[in-house]
Amino acid sequence: MAIKLKELFKKNNEIENNNQKNNIYKTEDIPSVPDGLYTACEKCHEMILTEDLYSGNMVCPKCGHYFKLGAYQRISMIVDNGTFEEWDKGLIENNPCEYDGYLKKIEKLKENTGIDEAIVTGVAKIDDKETVIGICDTRFLMGSMGHVVGEKLTRAVERATSMRLPVIIFTCSGGARMQEGMVSLMQMAKTSAALKRHSDAGLLYITVLTDPTTGGVTASFAMLGDIILAEPKALVGFAGPRVIKQTIGKELPEGFQRSEFLLEHGFIDNIVKREELRDTLAKLLRLHTSAKRDSMRKYKEYLDDIYHKKIDEDKEERDIEKQRKSSKDTAWDRVEIARSSDRPTALDYIYSLTKDFYELHGDRLYSDDGSIVGGIAMFGGQPVTVIGHQKGTTTKENIKRNFGMSNPEGYRKSLRLIKQAEKFRRPIIFFVDTPGAYPGIGAEERGQGRAIANNLFELSTVKTPLLSIITGEGGSGGALALALTDEVWMMENSVYSVLSPEGFASILWKDNTRAHEAAEKMKMTAADLKELGIIERIIPEFPVLNADTMNHVMMYMKRKIADFMIQYQSKSVEELIDNRYNRFRKF
Amino acid sequence: MINKLLIANRGEIAVRIIRACREMGIKTVAVYSQADADSLHTQLADESICIGKAAATDSYLNMERILSATIASGADAIHPGFGFLSENSKFVGLCEKCNITFVGPSSDIIAKMGNKSEARNTMKKAGIPIIEGTDEPLFEAHLAKKFADDIGYPVMIKAALGGGGKGMRVVYNAEDFIANFNSAQQETIKGFGDNSMYIEKYIEHPRHVEFQILADNYGNVIHLGERDCSVQRRHQKMIEESPSDAIDEKLRKKMGETAIKAAKAVGYTNAGTVEFLLDKNNNFYFIEINTRIQVEHGVTELVTGLDLIKEQIKIASGEKLNYTQSDIKLRGHAMEVRINAENPERNFAPCPGTIKTLHIPGGNGVRIDTAVYTGYSIPPYYDSMILKVMAYDTDREQVINKLKSVLGEIIIEGIDTNLDFQYDILNNKNFAGGKITTDFIKDNYGY
Repeated sequence: MAIKLKELFKKNNEIENNNQKNNIYKTEDIPSVPDGLYTACEKCHEMILTEDLYSGNMVCPKCGHYFKLGAYQRISMIVDNGTFEEWDKGLIENNPCEYDGYLKKIEKLKENTGIDEAIVTGVAKIDDKETVIGICDTRFLMGSMGHVVGEKLTRAVERATSMRLPVIIFTCSGGARMQEGMVSLMQMAKTSAALKRHSDAGLLYITVLTDPTTGGVTASFAMLGDIILAEPKALVGFAGPRVIKQTIGKELPEGFQRSEFLLEHGFIDNIVKREELRDTLAKLLRLHTSAKRDSMRKYKEYLDDIYHKKIDEDKEERDIEKQRKSSKDTAWDRVEIARSSDRPTALDYIYSLTKDFYELHGDRLYSDDGSIVGGIAMFGGQPVTVIGHQKGTTTKENIKRNFGMSNPEGYRKSLRLIKQAEKFRRPIIFFVDTPGAYPGIGAEERGQGRAIANNLFELSTVKTPLLSIITGEGGSGGALALALTDEVWMMENSVYSVLSPEGFASILWKDNTRAHEAAEKMKMTAADLKELGIIERIIPEFPVLNADTMNHVMMYMKRKIADFMIQYQSKSVEELIDNRYNRFRKF
Repeated sequence: MINKLLIANRGEIAVRIIRACREMGIKTVAVYSQADADSLHTQLADESICIGKAAATDSYLNMERILSATIASGADAIHPGFGFLSENSKFVGLCEKCNITFVGPSSDIIAKMGNKSEARNTMKKAGIPIIEGTDEPLFEAHLAKKFADDIGYPVMIKAALGGGGKGMRVVYNAEDFIANFNSAQQETIKGFGDNSMYIEKYIEHPRHVEFQILADNYGNVIHLGERDCSVQRRHQKMIEESPSDAIDEKLRKKMGETAIKAAKAVGYTNAGTVEFLLDKNNNFYFIEINTRIQVEHGVTELVTGLDLIKEQIKIASGEKLNYTQSDIKLRGHAMEVRINAENPERNFAPCPGTIKTLHIPGGNGVRIDTAVYTGYSIPPYYDSMILKVMAYDTDREQVINKLKSVLGEIIIEGIDTNLDFQYDILNNKNFAGGKITTDFIKDNYGY
């Protein structure tokens, strides 16, 4: 809707009269604003140049408000030009509750909006990757889910399952369609069940939550994505804010039920700006494409080639061993190096060793724990899941990361990503660096012990190769929760122990100043643990990991990880799980 | 003819435009921010409309509010002054769509001249000398060297993302090129995480000489001589004069004709300034066309006797130029000194505040353009220039003497200004001797 600039300066509301008056004087010569040149922002009410609004993805350039998008408008923003093929247009509408004027209203909406129902479904390509896509449209009875919406969605998911294609749904809906009564409620069940079959077939489902997503849609297909993204500030919730307010009789906090609130509470993977959505979806689709046969072997050959041409690996290992033996560092020296804030963090390793990392957030239960990071990345042309303890490099970041000490929700996030990796047959690389699980009241209230135990329980039978690398401090159960894996490696200057040397000295000798002595006794260095058979490999740091040696160390790690992948991916699932069982059975 | 003109600006230039309109019988509308309620332009105009909060983005840069004010007040034209929206092609395009006469060139021309690489290419095609340089970034030393060899030394190596001299090198001969390129690139990688480099011809100790042009809507273009603006501190002009003592009548003719050719190459209309760098061998290179009235337009008015604001309004109203090139004669010498509310001892930090006492001298051949008065509070949100002190006399020496006298008489109390610093420059022997390049301030004062 264009607003006449002149009207802004009128003190009355007689807009129609003013329009007439304007028309009388409107000639070519008199300055005036052509119709449609400007659009008023729904939120800040500032005038936006209409062409700016359209070229700017329908986001207000003044206040950043996201205008709602029609389904076809959204499709044109997301998919490759001309690749969208619409499915199931013109399904017959019923009026199960014989609600007065319902069908007439539907007919009228079809005419006014140019869409067929509150969802448009079909198949399209995003950056040349084929996917099934569904887009809700709030212009059609608030995007509510009646039987046609449920049917279109279910059919699209079923077809995606049989065509072995991913599904991407953009949600925005008031929930169930009241006019259709219980038939509407059944759509929640129907769509969810179809999505379970799609998931069981090992296929990817991504949801993008847009403003507003509420009620029965939130409680069914919106929250079932393997990956859940949301546009900024979108309202997402089950009960509407008005209902909650009326029920509890209190004002709701600022930002309640918005995307940012959901991210903080662990329910979504990320908030993505509208202008970045297409690229993000394309990247996620690429990260879910299976690797070409032999890609890991080729990657290893490539690495060997740029590393040294032909490498005598035995000699290399002997040299490293010799160098290590000549080192005069004590166990306590290693503890101090391992704890140094200069050490690379999990994200440093992830960005150095892999490509295209996409971080995923949240445990889907309570929160997003900053002390554990995880996501999907490419290693040697193959998608892998990476998970690690993350310490901060500044005080501020350390508070966000809780100094690398995880709460139960951190372990639950890791478990969610472990299960996801298993579903998509992705190997997992863990990076362990934690003083230990967080000793706190909340952590106990939410079941710290149970969370760690559950990781051990589940990791033991994950059907994909698992590799864990202790990069700094391997602190007890909190570390083991990410280290029940096929192989465990340690950085040369990392430590791995049942408790801190200070704790050891304090419990056994009642004197925590004897920590350096304890460190020797505890056999917590990489060399000690290799001898004990607790770990398989020591990663040399030549001799300490820093900016100068980083490249060399990372290249070594890439080669060894590629070897690991080649070796373990050739094993059958049974063999893999048996091996892992026996690895820990022997202790 | 324009009946009512809205001035989309503030300060002395707004006042200057209001005065020209009064003399022409055109009604004026001032727009002002909440911080400018007491400013002179707000009080002098026939009507004044508050368009928003103090921050320029909420007021003088807010296109919608300015268009609203124009239409609401019934004005049929906008004069943008300089700065703010004066070279914003989008704003000019909106004026065109809304049938508002914009006093300046069309949005197309502004867009073309605003895009540096497009402007360069247009000029190169038209045979205007430009500073040779790479259009695309270079990454490899030997390819860059080939380019440098082609355009000739000295050359400047610049980082695409550079700043503060980082990743920048001047190379005087071919043997040193590779080493300099590599070290500049290393610096760029370390500093900005990027390795794209540009090469351009380096002009040693140039002078900044610009030509004022006027072009009507019928293809007539004249130039009004040059202004020498070489006295600059970090690319901010401090003193401007006309004529330049660096060029003689023959070179003036050549440069003036080149300026006209440049204007014609883009179909330029209204007042504009073609900027050149002049090297010690009298080679000159096109830099850009400023598509607006300049701060220093007054010195051209003093030596030509023309009123540039009135000429702008006449051209915008569709009138033909009243002059041909042969009518334009430069008489005498004029110079302008910019007085800013800033403290040279604190690295020229702006010094807003209330002016307790202001004494401005007059006299024969003295012109002072300002919008400040005793008791006026300088808001902290905008440009710090408060006075343009201009003098006119028979020759350069007389003008400098006159300006020294004028500056000595000015009293501004309550705020810090660069008055003494400017006085120093006028007393500088090198300045008096005319040995000025754009490095003058750096070489003589270290700033």
